[in-house]
Amino acid sequence: MSEPGPTTHFGYRTVREEEKSRLVRDVFDSVAPRYDLMNDLMSLGIHRLWKARFLDRVRPRPRQTLLDVAGGTGDISFGWRERGGGPVMVCDINKEMLAVGRDRAIDRNILSGIDWICGDAEALPLPDRSVDAYTIAFGLRNVTHIDQALAEARRVLRPGGRFHCLEFSTVMLPALAAIYDRYSFSVLPWLGELVAGDAPAYRYLAESIRRFPAQADLAAKMEEAGLRRADWINLSGGIAAMHSGWRL
Amino acid sequence: MSEAPTSERKTVDPKLLEILVCPLTKGPLRYDAAAQELISDKAGLAYPIRDGIPIMLVDEARPTDAKP
Repeated sequence: MSEPGPTTHFGYRTVREEEKSRLVRDVFDSVAPRYDLMNDLMSLGIHRLWKARFLDRVRPRPRQTLLDVAGGTGDISFGWRERGGGPVMVCDINKEMLAVGRDRAIDRNILSGIDWICGDAEALPLPDRSVDAYTIAFGLRNVTHIDQALAEARRVLRPGGRFHCLEFSTVMLPALAAIYDRYSFSVLPWLGELVAGDAPAYRYLAESIRRFPAQADLAAKMEEAGLRRADWINLSGGIAAMHSGWRL
Repeated sequence: MSEAPTSERKTVDPKLLEILVCPLTKGPLRYDAAAQELISDKAGLAYPIRDGIPIMLVDEARPTDAKP
């Protein structure tokens, strides 16, 4: 037997590190065609409000370039363009999600200003200091090494550029936390089975949310990676949070 | 799901090819239009472009060391 390699978490399972990105890819390959519909059902449409708030905070500007990581189905990049933002590169590790996003762009008649790249948040195929803004919405949770993804974000940002993350986070109100737990471990996998035919993928979702660093812990990781003035705003009592930090 | 529209837009933007670098070495890439590959000489890897999308993943790249 060879020495077992480093392990990480896939939801509540402990898996070898090199396995995680493949497992995550399988989850999203499996749910890609129904991903947007599932998001609407799961969050009762609230994810749209969160994304709108997120875009308010990101504040698209015409002469800025955005890198949207894990942005496969296009919600953030379309919003950025529709609000007058400059060119966007969408980078997602999952080809199925990118295919969905590109087809949606064509359906919405967004025919220019967005480039689609299949790539890994931990090894971005972009030069140092090449973008003005970096967004990652509901993606950082699925990355194997969060620290490495944050370091890459800092590397590709120009000085003065800003990092923005929208992610499920830690619920701050005890009463809400109890309801939310019941919902995400019973209702979510059932909905996942019903709509996407894949309960385990949605069980993974619930588990991965619980594993993700809480608000202050993520901000500390950002500071360690050189993303300065890290702060956050809670959404819906902390069910989600928006983090931001600067490359100075 | 509705059928995805067939589109002539599924080609790579040449400006994108200029900006991309090798995810491993962060070094420059050579575009091989015939093979639809982006070649990193430093890493000895060729990244495929499939359906107009560059696949910039090391584990999906083709090692180039083997001479044809």
